[in-house]
Parts: sequence; structure tokens; C-alpha cells
Amino acid sequence: MVDTAQAEPGFLAARRERAARLSATLELPQFKGNAGWEFTDISGLDLDAFSPAPDAEAAGTADPAPMFRPEGAAELRQVDAGAATLTGELPAGVIVTSLEQAARDHAELVERHLGTVITGEDVFVARNEAAFRGGVFVYVPRGVALEQPILLTAIQSAGGNELNRRTLIVIDEGAQAEVWEQYLSASPDGEGLFNTVVELVVSQNARLRFVCGQDLSEKSWIFGTQRAEIARDGRLDWVALGFGSARGRVRMDTRLGGEGADARVTGAYAGHARQHIDFDTTQEHAAPNTTSDLAFRGVLQGRSSAVWRGNIIVDPGAQKTDAFQESRNLLLSKRAHADAIPGLEIQADDVRCTHAAAIAQVDPEQLFYLRSHGLGEEAAKRLVIEGFLAALVERFEEGPVRELLGRALERRLNLVLGVE
Amino acid sequence: MAVPETRALTENEQLAGINADYTERYGFHDAENYLYKAPKGLNREIVEKISEFKSEPQWMRAFRLKALDHFLSRPQPTWGSPMMAEVDYDDIHYFVRASERAERSWDDVPEDVKKTFDRLGIPEAERKFLSGVGAQYESEVVYHQVHKDLEAQGVIFTDMDTALREHEDLVREYFATIIPANDNKLAALNSAVWSGGSFVYVPPGVTVEMPLQAYFRINTESMGQFERTLIIADEGSHVHYVEGCTAPTYSKSSLHSAVVELIAKPGARIRYTTVQNWSTNVFNLVTKRAVAHEDATVEWVDCNLGSKLTMKFPSVYLMGERAHGEILSIAFAGKGQHQDAGGKIIHAAPNTTSNIFAKSISKDGGRGSYRGLLEVAKGAHGSKSKVVCDALLLDDHSRSDTYPTIRIGDDDVNVGHEATVSRVGEDQLFYLMSHGIPEEEASKLIVNGFIEPITKELPMEYAVEMNRLIELQMEGSIG
Repeated sequence: MVDTAQAEPGFLAARRERAARLSATLELPQFKGNAGWEFTDISGLDLDAFSPAPDAEAAGTADPAPMFRPEGAAELRQVDAGAATLTGELPAGVIVTSLEQAARDHAELVERHLGTVITGEDVFVARNEAAFRGGVFVYVPRGVALEQPILLTAIQSAGGNELNRRTLIVIDEGAQAEVWEQYLSASPDGEGLFNTVVELVVSQNARLRFVCGQDLSEKSWIFGTQRAEIARDGRLDWVALGFGSARGRVRMDTRLGGEGADARVTGAYAGHARQHIDFDTTQEHAAPNTTSDLAFRGVLQGRSSAVWRGNIIVDPGAQKTDAFQESRNLLLSKRAHADAIPGLEIQADDVRCTHAAAIAQVDPEQLFYLRSHGLGEEAAKRLVIEGFLAALVERFEEGPVRELLGRALERRLNLVLGVE
Repeated sequence: MAVPETRALTENEQLAGINADYTERYGFHDAENYLYKAPKGLNREIVEKISEFKSEPQWMRAFRLKALDHFLSRPQPTWGSPMMAEVDYDDIHYFVRASERAERSWDDVPEDVKKTFDRLGIPEAERKFLSGVGAQYESEVVYHQVHKDLEAQGVIFTDMDTALREHEDLVREYFATIIPANDNKLAALNSAVWSGGSFVYVPPGVTVEMPLQAYFRINTESMGQFERTLIIADEGSHVHYVEGCTAPTYSKSSLHSAVVELIAKPGARIRYTTVQNWSTNVFNLVTKRAVAHEDATVEWVDCNLGSKLTMKFPSVYLMGERAHGEILSIAFAGKGQHQDAGGKIIHAAPNTTSNIFAKSISKDGGRGSYRGLLEVAKGAHGSKSKVVCDALLLDDHSRSDTYPTIRIGDDDVNVGHEATVSRVGEDQLFYLMSHGIPEEEASKLIVNGFIEPITKELPMEYAVEMNRLIELQMEGSIG
């Protein structure tokens, strides 16, 4: 059964109509002179060249290798615009379903949150809202500490298609959850267009860990608009893994809207060939006594390139803010290129805001040291790269999360370095 | 004259005093006994008139007119500060002549003008610490002098208008080669209406021991000052150029838009120090760029205390192997001020090195923005660079921004950036321990090693505040 066969509730239909009108009037951002887009040329993107993703799973669609599979997870899996299927049991009151289904079954809840975290006018968001099929709604009710992880899998089956993925996650007051989301391509050579919009609502005293991985075909376009709103004493632990795609841009914004809110954002990417990776992050401190800690690390091989732009914004009155951001790149080839554009915009005086950026090659001294201890050139280099990424993974305490992230990075590194 | 003792004051007390007495010290103005004052506004006629006044060669006149077309066809930049929208190009006097020529004796400078520079302490500083002095009043240089022994060694230090008359070939060879007329809207404006500024040529192997200084003074209301400076340090030579500026405080805005080009030939060294202290009704929109050839060093010491809005990002293009670039950017943003300053370093040759240190202080609602670029082009292998930005906010209604762009296109490089925004009095150690930033001590030593000599070299009265800021420990942030 396809979700969209049934009539949509009025609020969603109205939103879609408005978004469709907006998307028809908004232009694709220009590469030059357009804040945020200066480093990613998308002039080669022809939106009309893509057909909407099919709404039924084609028979014999290959099952792509997952990036991660947390033990005991309940999984909501969707291929293209087809029906979402849930495997695994969930405690009463916890909702994991397609967003369209939820709009019908839990209209009040969805209406209260959908479009409240991401509000600006943006061509990719408007396009997504007008066209998404299925999508994801996760809701963890007040006071429920969900121990079982939730896994959300979106698969784009073939090239030539545009898939608009919409995710809304609401963690109610005092609730806790761990959600993993992965974007995969069934066809490794397909040139698809993947446009994701993610809204994360972390309520008062709630905790959310959200791991979002992208391993699309390396000929695909990826556009992501992801934003979290964290209420008083809420905590968000957000992880991004950028492995696949040819080109695009992913925004990850965090707004610390209530006193005592805390966010940790961790990002890793490993590019090769001619991949271009673009992450744009914002940590907005809108309330006093809020903390944020962001770290991105990337490894670039071949002719790949990466841009990281990160902004820490401290609104007036957000005293006692403690914000940190760092971006580190390791260039493995003469033809790799990295840009780092950290930014601080501070309007409160009693704060501590720090950022750091570094772009470097494999340290010859480290290599020399390792080689002098009997390691071959390749093995020594690999060890240095692993150490570089390990520093990121070690932000997580020992346990299943660290292991899953470590293994995902290891597999990616094997591919980028041409091992196996 | 020793650097004034400031240790007895706390950092807050030192900062509170900056420009508190601007009106008495610098904010005065003289009577206007001008030979010529252009009506407000800019058109082809004004540009032609400036060229005619100066009896310029035809090529310069053509250059100006072409630049005017560039200026008129380019839109006003919208990035950076929202204050850019307030610049009214029609409400500016583009040329004002106060004196016949650049005199070589203060006694020949018109009385009112001389009195102004006396009050600013320029003739006194000249006697004590400087190798040469130029003094610009409104559009033109009214006084110029350089030590005779430097002249004997072939050093040229003169105002730009004189240079065009007396050293036309040299000017023509280098003028606008680093900053073309259509580089940006403000550079185009300067290229169309430039007047005054300095021309420096230092022959191979010559070291100019004491700094050369230029002092720029605006006197009239709604003034536009567009000086043009070109410094060529030939192989193995060494020169330090210092500029200062002030203006009376008016309710209407003035515009200062300079173009400064530096050329450091192989093995040469140029240090360029600016103490910018315009009154808070001046838009200060300046383009400064240097090229450093093989083994050459260029250092920008750029201190911005005054003006309503400053947008200025001195840059160094490291074009030859082992060239070195250094930028120390100091900004103080008080009430109503936006200092959007910083620096750019472009590594375009192998084994080049650079450092950027930025200190910014915002108070009383002011906004300090550090904007910088560090670029390592493909092929510039073995390059090393370090960027350290520190910012202090002194109250809860001021603003501090940091926008340091880093672009790396070569794998054999080592580039780092660190920035901190913090309140005065935060415990630095706590910060270090919680984030484990390495090289802290090292970077501090580098900063101090670079900046300490500057304060000793510039004991001029108008540089006192800059020296204080340079020595400010920036307690609570790195460096």
C-alpha cells in the first residue's frame, strides 16, 4: 500500500501547496556572491533532468550495504517514494512511522512540530516540502527513556531520480532516544538527486543522539537542510558521516533555545576521486548558560575537495555561553583541496567562544618515527590517518556507538585508500 | 622618549582611556583659506579638473577616466557591514587644495596648517625619530622632507604628485600593477580621483634605519581624501613606513579611500605601520596589497582606532620562494563604530611562510569584525602559516565577529588557525586544559617576538594608544 493513496490532512496539503508555489519562484543559488554557496558550484545541476522517485519498489532492487546496523534496532526502511516498512517492536506510545501516515494518525502532534524548526524560505526546503513522499516521523513521549536504538534507512534505487526525504524527530520532555539515519544508493553509478530536510525537536530535559550517515552513489547530488531546536536543559549529540555523493551541500544548524541546553556535534568525511563535500554548520546560542562543542575531521584523497563553514552565533543576552568549534583536514594528495571558514558572531560579553581550524598533510616526522620502528610506508601512513580519525571517534565513550562509528570510518577509509 | 609606563593601570582602565579625549586632541578644525575646493559630487568634469590642476601626463588622465567608468558601473558592495549602504558619494568634496606645493620647510607651510601639525606633534617627531616626513592636508601633501644622507644614497621619498612629475618612468612602471583600477569599487574610485600619498623607492642594498612617516589630516566637512601610495623596495633593501591620520569631528560623513601598493623585490623587507584614528564620522574604505618576491618579507602592522566604519584587509602575495608575510591587525571598536578589518595572505610559491595575529576589542556597542583569508595555491608546497585571532568584548551590547577563511590547494602545507572570544578576566589556563590546545606558549612567544620591537620603534604621540593595545595581554584569550 502506498501512503499517498489516501487523502492528506488539510494542514499538510496547505503546506505543500504553499511550498510548491514558493519553489516555483525561488532560483537555485548562484555559486558566486551568494553567502554560503561561494565554495560549491552547482551550476551543473539541472533540476528538470530528474524524474520523481518511483513510488513502488522495483522488483530486484539490490540491497546496498548499510553504513551501520545498531544492535537490536527497530528499523524503518523506505526505498525511493515507496511505502515505509517497520521491523522490530517498540514500547507503547513511541511512534516510528512515515510522516505522511503520522500526519493522518497523529495530525495534532505533527502539525504542532512540522516546519517549526526550519522556517526560512529556501529553494531546497520548499522543493522537499512540496514533493516528499513517505518520510519519517519519530516521537518519544514524555519521560520515556527508549533504550532500543531506532534505525531509519532511505534507499535511492537508481540514477535519474529525485528523492525528497523528510524527517521529523520529536523527543518530548524528559524523554531519551538514539536515532540512526542512513541514506544509501542501490546503484553505485546512478546519478541521483537526494534532497533531505531534517527537523529535530529536543524538548525540556530531553536527550537525543542522532547519527546521520550519507553513502550515496559518488555520482549523486546531495542537498541537506538539517536543524535542531533544543529546549531548556535538553541535550543533543549529533553525528554526521559524509561518505558518498559527487557534490552538494549539507547544512547542520543547532539552536540552543533554552537555558542549560547542550549540543555536541561531530562530523567526519573521507573523499576521493573528484568528490566535493560541503558542510555548513551553525551553533546558535539563544539562551544563557548553553554549551556547544563541534568537531569536524576530514580526509581527502585524489582530486577530492571539502568545504567546512561553521558559525558560532551568540545572541544578545546569552551570557555564560561556552562554545567551541574545530575543523581539521588531512590532505593525502597534491590535488586535494580543502577550505575552512570558521566564524564567530558574538553579542554577549560573558562568554567563552573558541574555534580552531587546521589543514595539513600526513606529518613527515610521524611517518619517519613509525618507519624507523619497522613499518612500511603505506602501513605507517594508514596508521597516521587512522590516528587522525580516531581522535574524533574518541569523543564517544567506549561502547557500541564508538564501535559502530569506528567501523563505518574504517570501511570508508579502505575504499578511499584503495585497500581490498 | 620612552614608551609610557602603563603597567600600573588595569587592562580595563587602559581601554577606557582610548580616544576619551579625541575632541581636544584631534577633533578641532582650522579656518579654511583654500586655493580651491571642488563642489560636492563626482563626475567626469571633476576628474578632468584634478588631472588639469596637476598638469598630468595624458596616460594618467586616461587612467583616471577609465577608472571612473569602472567606479560608476560597479554596484556598492553589500557584504561586510550594513553601514556600507550609508555611504553617499554625492555628498563629498572630491578635491580640496590648501597649499601651492609640498614645502621642504615647515616655515613655508601656511600658518593654520602648520599650527595643526604642530598640535599633532609631527615636526617634533620628525626631529627625533624619523628619516623622513610627509604631511598631507585635505587632498595634497603640504610638507615633505627626507634626510639628506638617504637622498644621497638614492632613496626617493616624496609625495605621489611630485613623483609623477619627477620620476614619471618609475611611477609608470609600477603604478596600479598590484591593485588594478577595476580591482573593486573603492579602488576604482581612488584610481579616478587620487591625490597625494607617498612614493618611496629604496635602491638595492640600502637600509633606511629610521621610519619614513606620512601623516594625513582631513580638515573640512564632507571631505573625500584619496591618497595613493606606492613603495618599491629594491633587492636586499629595508624600509619601515609609518602612517597616521586624524580628522575633526563633524556630524556629516567624510570618506577616506586610499590605495596602497607595496613591492618587495628579492631579499627586501618592508614594514608598513598604520595608526588609523579618523574621527567617528569618517568612512574608511581602503585597499592595501603587497607582493613579496623571493626571500622578501612584507609586514603590515594595521591598527584601527578611529573612523565610523573601516573596511580594510591588507594583503600579502608571497610570489617568490621563501618569501614571508606578517600581519598584525589591531582593532578597537567603540560607540557607533564598526571595525571590519583583518588581512589576507596568499602563498603562491614554495616554502613561503606567514603569520597573522589579530587583536580586537569591542565596547560601548561597537562592533569588531576580523575578516581574513589564508590561501595556499597549488604548488606552494612546504608553506607554513599560522593565524591567531583574539577578541575581547567589554560589555553586553557590543559585538565581535571572526571570519577567517582558509583555502588550501597543496598537500604539503601546515596551516593552523585559532581564535578566541572571551571576557576580560577569564582564566586562560582553564580554557587550555578543557580544550587541550597545543602550541599555546609557542604562539605567544611568536606574537611577542614580533610585536615588542614595534612599540619601541614608534614612540610618537599619536602611536601611544596603538602601543598600549599591542602590549595588551588580552587576558582571557590566547596570544
